[in-house]
Amino acid sequence: MQPQFMKDVPDSVCTDFQNLNKLNEQQFIRLIEILFQFLLEPKETERFMQQLAEFAGHHGMSAGPLKTLMKSVLLVPQEACKKNLTAEQIREDLMAFGLGEDKAAHFSHQWAEHNASLSRRAVEQTLMVNQLVDMEWKFGVTVGTSEIQKVGSIFLQLKLVTRKGNSTENIYVELTLPQFYKFLHEMERAKASMECFS
Amino acid sequence: MAATVSSEVFSDLQLLLKAPSKDVVREVCVQSHSGPSRQLTDNTAAALSISAAQAAQLVQSLHTLSHHILFYNLSSPEQILSIFPETFHSSLKNLITKILLENSPAWRTGALDKQVSLPQLKDLDWRVDLVTGSDSVSRMSMPTCLVQLKLEDPCQSTDMESVSTVTVELRQTARNILGAES
Repeated sequence: MQPQFMKDVPDSVCTDFQNLNKLNEQQFIRLIEILFQFLLEPKETERFMQQLAEFAGHHGMSAGPLKTLMKSVLLVPQEACKKNLTAEQIREDLMAFGLGEDKAAHFSHQWAEHNASLSRRAVEQTLMVNQLVDMEWKFGVTVGTSEIQKVGSIFLQLKLVTRKGNSTENIYVELTLPQFYKFLHEMERAKASMECFS
Repeated sequence: MAATVSSEVFSDLQLLLKAPSKDVVREVCVQSHSGPSRQLTDNTAAALSISAAQAAQLVQSLHTLSHHILFYNLSSPEQILSIFPETFHSSLKNLITKILLENSPAWRTGALDKQVSLPQLKDLDWRVDLVTGSDSVSRMSMPTCLVQLKLEDPCQSTDMESVSTVTVELRQTARNILGAES
């Protein structure tokens, strides 16, 4: 049977899912638990590999083939996320891949439970350029300088923390009071514009 | 009470009596505020028919005086006249006072513009986009905002690029931070 929704997934995934049928219920549940744990925290690759190795050892399997199998299985939730599939659609396609009915139901049930978190994560990870991570500010009064003994002008200093690749960069900006009001006005306009779409 | 200006400064200022016109006095006073330079010393020496050494001292003294006026914000004629010694040439004293008073506002603004500061926000542009898809999610509808800040660092020396442009992307939560600050 051909999958209806996840057409971009390679054919070899069918074979891999049929291998999953060899696991008993408890084993399958545990393996899916490991899978979703990784999907929710995709940076924890070492932990994922370690858990698979432990699982393999515990159930008398070779770790190597299991890891390969799971890498292939990962393509399914990723594709499902990309296409915003429902739990029902996933269940149907898993059965089309050859996964047993009970196992397909369990997988899609887990998907339904974690869908919101997984979608949010996928959206959050969408490419961002110089993402603003944090902002700090302070107001002050300049009382004097080396050129003028008594000044009395107001300033605002901003520290913008932006993400550049894997590290953060700080940008320091100083504004006079009129500049600050202009900045605020523009940011309110941008906020109103964004609110139209959310 | 403002600190006093040393008497050597005033004796150097007497050299201005050699100036052929009031305009020359004005020119030297205004130029000296920025600081001594080879060019200024040479021009002054030529205009006043004095030696280079004397011209350099005159420029330095004028610089000291104008910065003193600026620092202590001496903004009335009486305040400026009172720092001159009793014996100082009366007309020259009045002329110098007039020149200093005329130029003080511009000098003050200039000093405030060039004061020690973090990079200043010169301009701000923004754009709101709607992200409709990505490699991990084919269809979505998420607003995002790009803000471009033009920053000018007044402390950069003039031969280096002092204006820089920074573009920052904001999403919902970042927007809330900015909204909350107001």
